[in-house]
Amino acid sequence: MSVATLRLVVPGHLRFRTVAVRFIAEACRLVSGSHMFDDRTGGFQVQHPFDTAFVSAFMEIFNNIVLHAYGGTERGVIEVTASVTVGALALEMRDTGTIFDFHAVPLPALDELPEGGMGLHIARTMLDEISYRPGPPNLWRLSKRLVLPGQL
Amino acid sequence: MTASFDVQTQQGQPTLLVRGSLDINSAPRLAERIDLLLATKPGRVVVDLSALDLIDSSGVAALVKLYKGIRAQGGQLEMRGTRDQPLAIFKLLRMDKVFGIA
Repeated sequence: MSVATLRLVVPGHLRFRTVAVRFIAEACRLVSGSHMFDDRTGGFQVQHPFDTAFVSAFMEIFNNIVLHAYGGTERGVIEVTASVTVGALALEMRDTGTIFDFHAVPLPALDELPEGGMGLHIARTMLDEISYRPGPPNLWRLSKRLVLPGQL
Repeated sequence: MTASFDVQTQQGQPTLLVRGSLDINSAPRLAERIDLLLATKPGRVVVDLSALDLIDSSGVAALVKLYKGIRAQGGQLEMRGTRDQPLAIFKLLRMDKVFGIA
């Protein structure tokens, strides 16, 4: 059962990345109950494991859409819908950029200290579920449940 | 969520301080600083990440570039102060051991 549905639409450009990341961080905070902002300094920190995982994954997918789907040009928007429930967050991200084969992206060779190709690996590893459906619009679905003490 | 970079040198040893969010927006600026730093053939570099709040794969790539550059010159790199989300990313990518922060 959804507690809250939050929506954000931003141009598909890196200038708007910070806005989007803050939006997701706030959605995470509604699930984890964490406190991310230092009231004294205005600093922004991600410390809770749930927030860490989801924000990390989101940043990579946002980068992917801007750079690869939209090719670094501001020719479309990214629609983000966050469904907050008790103990879980489900996210949908839509774009109208170039499609790609999600399943053809190889795992990075971590032993070789790669300087690229790590983004999807981070997103896949950090989340419970991630999927991509070519469009238009292309649809990313990201979700994760909050693991409470004693549930491991 | 901006980033800032400073290089402080004490007794000939540079320390690179990275603050804020090292990501796809800020990593290119760090890469430029890394090129300048490597040009001095520093031998040993300390990277202080105690004020680094967020990192993405682009930020990791910049630090890997620094590590490889130092190693190629026969030098050493030491990372200090890694915490929270950046530490989780390094562990996920198995770079915590490479960077000596395990």
